[in-house]
Amino acid sequence: MARVQSQMLQQAGSTSTAAPKPSAGWKSGISMRAIVLPALTAALLLASWEIAIPLLGIPHALLPPPSAIAARLGQLFFPLILKHAIPTILESLAAFIISSILGVVLAGALSSSKAVREALYPNVVFFQLIPKIALAPLFIVWFGIGSESRVAFSIFISFFPVVIATLAGLDNVDRELLRLCKALRASEWQVFRHVRAPFAIPYMFSGMKIATTFSIIGIIVGEFVTSQAGLGYLILFASAQAETELIFAAIAVLCAFGLVFYGLVALAESTLRKKLDA
Amino acid sequence: MVITSLVRQSPLEKATSIVDASQSYISVEDVRKIYHTADGDVEAVSKVGFDVASGDFVSVLGPSGCGKSTLMMMMGGLETVSSGRIVIGGEPVTAPRADFGYVFQDATLLPWKTVLDNVLFPIRLRDGSTKKYDERARELLDLVGLWEFRNKQPRQLSGGMRQRVAICRGLINDPALLLMDEPFSALDAISRDDMNAALADIWDRFHKTAIFITHSIREAVFLSDRVLVMSRRPSTICYDVRVDFPRPRRMELQETQEFNELCGFLRKKIEEGNKLS
Repeated sequence: MARVQSQMLQQAGSTSTAAPKPSAGWKSGISMRAIVLPALTAALLLASWEIAIPLLGIPHALLPPPSAIAARLGQLFFPLILKHAIPTILESLAAFIISSILGVVLAGALSSSKAVREALYPNVVFFQLIPKIALAPLFIVWFGIGSESRVAFSIFISFFPVVIATLAGLDNVDRELLRLCKALRASEWQVFRHVRAPFAIPYMFSGMKIATTFSIIGIIVGEFVTSQAGLGYLILFASAQAETELIFAAIAVLCAFGLVFYGLVALAESTLRKKLDA
Repeated sequence: MVITSLVRQSPLEKATSIVDASQSYISVEDVRKIYHTADGDVEAVSKVGFDVASGDFVSVLGPSGCGKSTLMMMMGGLETVSSGRIVIGGEPVTAPRADFGYVFQDATLLPWKTVLDNVLFPIRLRDGSTKKYDERARELLDLVGLWEFRNKQPRQLSGGMRQRVAICRGLINDPALLLMDEPFSALDAISRDDMNAALADIWDRFHKTAIFITHSIREAVFLSDRVLVMSRRPSTICYDVRVDFPRPRRMELQETQEFNELCGFLRKKIEEGNKLS
């Protein structure tokens, strides 16, 4: 135990001394700092967590140390966790894609017609404010216990941020720009294509980034309720067996997926922006 | 060099036009503009009439809020007239025209497009493709000294540079009429002087009819062939003077006695215009 502890300490120590200090002559100093500093902080937190468990005598069933979680993850990833990760990932992606498309289309419709806007927008905001998670069982009633109900529920909770964010972008175009377009005799479509859409893209993507998280949450909550397969199901299963390490292992995989998902959306954003600037 | 053809205007009479109406390119006839607001009607422009010959650089000079921008918007088809009409090139103005060029107080460049794309934007909207105008864009940007910035984004430029890009954009389609609404008001004094010199140079190159709105007397006199003084709201043209300094206009002109006398004279007329309303 003591040897493990001192090894951990050494590792933590070597991590912090191994990290290079940003210096004046270093050209990429700033971007390295943006990665190194938070990475260091995370490493320190993990190290403290690792030490605190044996130090405070916390049972592993309550809160396992990172080393135990990592071990369980390595042990069970291919035989068990991956099998459950796949349906969660696929359903989250499907829900995200549909809710993004729906959200952008609805925002476009709301911004194009004043009447449609006045009729629908307050209702959209109202729906946004309902504690939608409480409606999950309702989706089971409507759609059954298959993946349709989970995906439908996930779409339901993740498309509102896309609508509201995209609409904000489409509406907040500089009035001076619109006057310029009027002076240049641009058609409504041209104004949308050349001014409103490019202006709204950052807003749209910020809505979509929120939607990535919500779409995952929607699927996990759906899995909690329907208990068939997926990482949500696995977490429930593991908690019923008091296998806390497995819970954390599943959560770790979920986090990794969330990060990659978010990163893909950010990549799509920069690609689209470059393309539109042409 | 001498100030000629001073025409005194009484505020209630229609302007005795310096320009023969049959020759005029622009004819503003008894134009009024009333804004209907929640607090009641506001008469911005009371009764304005004048003619402009083709090829003249005409400034409309007046204090802030007097309706001179409104007048330009009406001439450019961006605002409707409440009564009267504006005839340009024989046709009444009802909407913005393809042969007009516009420069606003804010450069209003598209922030996600490069300088070159911004200059070509009017062509892009009109034709779809901009190939034939690449040469002209280069010529214009060279003239204002910004060709080497053609691939930069607007946020990388200073205010004066952005306004120069806006002027190139206003000239890209070779407009018959250039409408400029206080384009240099947002700039500091030194940039403003630079821009005045640049515009005078451009003017010598691309000789167009221009309407230039400003509240700076020196700017108006330096740039123009003719200055119209507007009174306070509800506004009329209370003074109309020909400026016959020879072209090309150089900054040294602003040190001469004749220049400063004319500026002083116009300042008095503006004060009178303020008192009349």
